[in-house]
Amino acid sequence: MGVKKSDIVLLDDKGLRCDGRKIDQPRRIMIKAGVLKNANGSAYIEFGENKILAGVFGPRDVHPKHLANTDRGILRCRYHMQPFSVSERKNPAPSRREIEISKVIKEALEPAVMLENFPRTVVDIFIEILQADGGSRCAALDAAAVALADAGIPMRDMVSACAAGKVADTIVLDINNEEDQEGQADMPVAYMPNLEKITLIQLDGVLTPQEYEKCVNTAISGCKLVYEIQKKALRDKFFGDESQ
Amino acid sequence: MNVSIIDQLKKKKILSLLKDGQRVDGRAFDEPRPLVVDTGVIPKAEGSARIRLGDTEVVTGVKIQPDKPFPDLGDRGIFICTAEILPLADPNAEPGPPNEDVIELARVVDRGIRESSMIDLTKLVLQKDKSVVGLFVDNSVTDYDGNLFDACSYASVASIMSCKIPKWEMVNDVPTLVDGQVSDPPITTIPVSVTMGKIGDYVIVDPNADEWSCMDARITITTNSNGNICAIQKGGDDGFTLEQLLKCSQISIATGAKIREILKKVSGS
Amino acid sequence: MDDPKRKYVIPGDVITTGPYRAEENVHLFGDKIIATAVGISEIFDSGVRVIPLTGMYIPRIDDFIIGIVRSHTSLSWELAINSCYPGILPAQDVFGRDFDPKVDSLTSRLKKGDLIAARVANSDRSRDPLITIADRDLGKIEDGELVKISPTKIPRLIGKRGSMIQSIEGATKAQITIGQNGYIVVSCPEAEGLLKALDAIRMVEEQAHVPNLTERIQQMLGSNSE
Repeated sequence: MGVKKSDIVLLDDKGLRCDGRKIDQPRRIMIKAGVLKNANGSAYIEFGENKILAGVFGPRDVHPKHLANTDRGILRCRYHMQPFSVSERKNPAPSRREIEISKVIKEALEPAVMLENFPRTVVDIFIEILQADGGSRCAALDAAAVALADAGIPMRDMVSACAAGKVADTIVLDINNEEDQEGQADMPVAYMPNLEKITLIQLDGVLTPQEYEKCVNTAISGCKLVYEIQKKALRDKFFGDESQ
Repeated sequence: MNVSIIDQLKKKKILSLLKDGQRVDGRAFDEPRPLVVDTGVIPKAEGSARIRLGDTEVVTGVKIQPDKPFPDLGDRGIFICTAEILPLADPNAEPGPPNEDVIELARVVDRGIRESSMIDLTKLVLQKDKSVVGLFVDNSVTDYDGNLFDACSYASVASIMSCKIPKWEMVNDVPTLVDGQVSDPPITTIPVSVTMGKIGDYVIVDPNADEWSCMDARITITTNSNGNICAIQKGGDDGFTLEQLLKCSQISIATGAKIREILKKVSGS
Repeated sequence: MDDPKRKYVIPGDVITTGPYRAEENVHLFGDKIIATAVGISEIFDSGVRVIPLTGMYIPRIDDFIIGIVRSHTSLSWELAINSCYPGILPAQDVFGRDFDPKVDSLTSRLKKGDLIAARVANSDRSRDPLITIADRDLGKIEDGELVKISPTKIPRLIGKRGSMIQSIEGATKAQITIGQNGYIVVSCPEAEGLLKALDAIRMVEEQAHVPNLTERIQQMLGSNSE
């Protein structure tokens, strides 16, 4: 907002994007595991300008009781933006967008979490967006997956997420806020890197079938980069210097 | 969320049929249910449609009225799409504020139409930054048999295609209706969503309620008139392989083209 | 790590491929054996498992545990046992077979907040785990300091054939009761010994993954006493 469309050059003649990145270059990503004392597992991520905290509680008793499932545990997820996380104050009540994102994040993690081991319990994931930038749902997912592993909740695989998109008629990795606003397409993807399964995919914007295939592959390559950073965060916490 | 014992038995049955290449209702894997579209069913609405996709039925109305534009989009008209599952549509539906499934439904239908740029919103400006025309598309599910995503999407598209936009003129900065003059909506493309369910490793188009209740994951892919992809939403508690995703995109383009012909015919355009 | 059969793993890591049995904290995907927890993987005989470094206590039959009385009904107590399920201690287990809910008051024997040494009598997917104190050395714990550590660190605290815990007890004169669920009760006639023992337990928790930990602990206990 405030910046006119014409002021932004999304892709310059040297092939650099509005924040100086190459087309296949992600933003700076930093993840730290185990940042909260009370949560069973937690993680903090900085992904571009996103600053996000994720905390996991459980498995624990389900309240209200009628939600409990006798064959398997249930997963709940709340993605929530702080009022101060965006330029114009956000009403703290959950918006429809936040409710939808909470749902898709939960469904992206569910294939990985072995809930069948914990009947009658719930695993709660709380995600707080302290500062929002483009691609906050992917960054939130990355932090949530690390927090789940930190909590010791059995997982079939990690879940790593990254977006790709179309900007100035070019498929690029990891869309930032300006590219999301002014670009042509945004495709967040979450991926289980060892089981090779896509657990989240959404798309806003128009792609030809060829661009679609390229975009999915680009996003998956981003997920693999994120996966290495998630692994490092967990290794740093649990194995310290020993793992190097 | 809780899977009942009946659903588990059903899933076994459905899965064993799929292994033999059969679906519960005898359709081919990539065959949607018959789509019946009637437009103009609610004369008081500027546009309307009642569609049946198999036994899923949706009634949709478009109300059109002048409105203030969004602060950062002063040069565009307004398009808002909602969805509601009426209590009479399903014994499990509850009146009251929408739950996350209904919110997702409305947002996915809205996104498919918005991202395809079906309506050229720049043509709906009365006075820049002051007054624009708003299209409010409300989907009401009246009977449930699975796959509300596509049913609501087709109903929305059909009702938008059939709508007539009244004419307003700015008189002393106030939009004033010009009686008796209407125009066709500025439509650039016809988005068609195709929802596929994954049961085991089988991908099926347009799951009915039985299939819906026991599928592991789903994906909705919306394509435009050029056969390009303009919106995707994956849902459900399992994932897709890359190969499955690419196959789904091909199915959505092919199936979307057939559905688009049906939508074109009924709206006479 | 030098031992090729042991590796640090996180969920999703492929530990090995081939004809192995999948034991604890791993799952089989095609012919890959994949870790499901952060921990140390081990290949032994023909099986593969991961010793987790984080996670909740999962009750197993015959485990020795320490429970905290949380509440009671007219027929049983509910215990906090550091798990996702509460432990259930039936009143009959304490009062004997002629327990009569009309006559016997549960609070006369165990009150909220009491600590008990107990065993897991039964645990399956369908019910909350059943706890018993009907055995020698089980029952209410009268005094001592409660320490909570991650249950995944308990094997390290005990050490090979009890070596670690014996070193700590020997050097501090403390008596340490270790529950498999991560609850530990430490009692010691001398305050200094108590504090030293608590420090040693904390150190084990923080450095459980470090090799030669027993020596480090011995060093710490030795240097402190000088």
